[in-house]
Amino acid sequence: MATVRPDDKSFEALFTAEYGRVTGIANRVLADPHEAEDVAQEVFIDFHRLHSASAQYAPAWLHRAAAHAALNRLRGARRRQRREVAQAAEESDQTVDPQKMLEMSEDRRHVRQALARLAPKPAAVLVLRSSGLSYAEVAQALGVGIGQVGTLLRRAEAALRKEVTRGTSF
Amino acid sequence: MVDDPDVHSGADGRHFETCAECQARYKTVSEDARAITSLMTAPDLKVDVASAFNRVRLAPAARPRFGFRLPVLRPGSRPLVLAFAAAVAAVALLATAIAQDKNTFSPNTVTPVPVTLADMQSLSQLSAYGTVSWTEQPQLQIVSSAAEAKSISGLQVPTVASLPTGISTTVTYAAMPQAAAVFTFSQAKAAATAAQTGKALPALPAGMDGAQLTVTVGPAVAEIYGNFNKPSSADITQVSLPQLIVAESSAPVATSTQVTVKQLEDYILAQPGLSPELTAAIKAIGDPSTTLPIPVPVQFATSSSVPIQGVQGVALGDNTGVGAGVIWVKNGVVYGVVGTVKQIDAIDIANHLT
Repeated sequence: MATVRPDDKSFEALFTAEYGRVTGIANRVLADPHEAEDVAQEVFIDFHRLHSASAQYAPAWLHRAAAHAALNRLRGARRRQRREVAQAAEESDQTVDPQKMLEMSEDRRHVRQALARLAPKPAAVLVLRSSGLSYAEVAQALGVGIGQVGTLLRRAEAALRKEVTRGTSF
Repeated sequence: MVDDPDVHSGADGRHFETCAECQARYKTVSEDARAITSLMTAPDLKVDVASAFNRVRLAPAARPRFGFRLPVLRPGSRPLVLAFAAAVAAVALLATAIAQDKNTFSPNTVTPVPVTLADMQSLSQLSAYGTVSWTEQPQLQIVSSAAEAKSISGLQVPTVASLPTGISTTVTYAAMPQAAAVFTFSQAKAAATAAQTGKALPALPAGMDGAQLTVTVGPAVAEIYGNFNKPSSADITQVSLPQLIVAESSAPVATSTQVTVKQLEDYILAQPGLSPELTAAIKAIGDPSTTLPIPVPVQFATSSSVPIQGVQGVALGDNTGVGAGVIWVKNGVVYGVVGTVKQIDAIDIANHLT
């Protein structure tokens, strides 16, 4: 039987405020809304077990956890393959142009493969920033100074571009 | 230099307003950032926060000790769950398809049917002919007491008389209320799949577009002996399997609409790649509307018919001798005992289950 904790109200408020964004971060990495929701829910469950929902660091913790959990999933080659198969099947429901969808799917696959090869920090900074987090939010999530974010981002972008090029030059 | 307008404030902001070099670098960096953002486009996301919250709210209380979920049963793992549902629908279709006068499948006995990997691939094509939707989502919960399992499933948890040597006495419980899925045949879905894959599938028989197959499974309850390890991720391959599972579930029920038996039979038998052995085994089933076919992967497992608690059951063994299982149906309930035990032990547990 579920027990009602005093923290539950705060947790619901936190969940309502952040679920969309946390799922968005995971979706940015995985390019799979369903799996992104899985990741987001796991992140919230982990948070709820270990932390107070009223903690000031809660959003930053969730953002970082979402990025890392999704990146960890991305690095599993077998899971990646399964996801692509499922995604291709799902997208076939939504489009009338299979060729276009195939190309889009290929592009996404190359970029995600490149992202999976990046070191954790550059990968996370790219994911968080491209998910719409401000520099201040990215800094909080990664525990770095706001002045470092620009530099980290530029290096990460260069690294990703290099990996994408490497991945498509064979 | 950064591309975030939020940081253009104070002294930096004033400098930026008047520095052509900084503005040029800002433009370059912004374009780079936009290019990367464009590369990292993702499918549109629509979230149902209220439903998601309900799932998460229940999870900590229901699974306090493990911190992982079996991926195939996670409510959020829709592709996997749908694949599972498609498999269930396919099995039910097999039985329904050959029922001569009935459109309801409600098993009271079991029989093994040999299935090859090619058969599984062929049958998985069936999911391309329609869509699966859950009218009642499967909600598996791991709980720590038999009483909780009973309150979730409404089923009395079976009691094992004695455990074989070496089986851990650590026991946890899994329980699931009833779940129901509807498979709707769709000509459009079949055409879209054919366009996507470039492979033509056997044509859907006329009149089947829109026909529905409803499959109800559960409620179900299981006793799990042995320790789970906690994997570093949710990868099922990293979960150490328990030593013994004793499960009980209301028998699945399938009903179909708008589809004749002959159409379904022709349709299933038209799937390319089905082995003659499977086809023959299905045709040999005496009363298909009351017989639950148990797919036995012929390359990996053996099966035999055994008497269990006064009914005929199916005993399964893997080819390595590491694992064994028994499945039987009694009074509308499907029972299963499976684990890393000898087949004789699995049968003994099954016969003494109360």
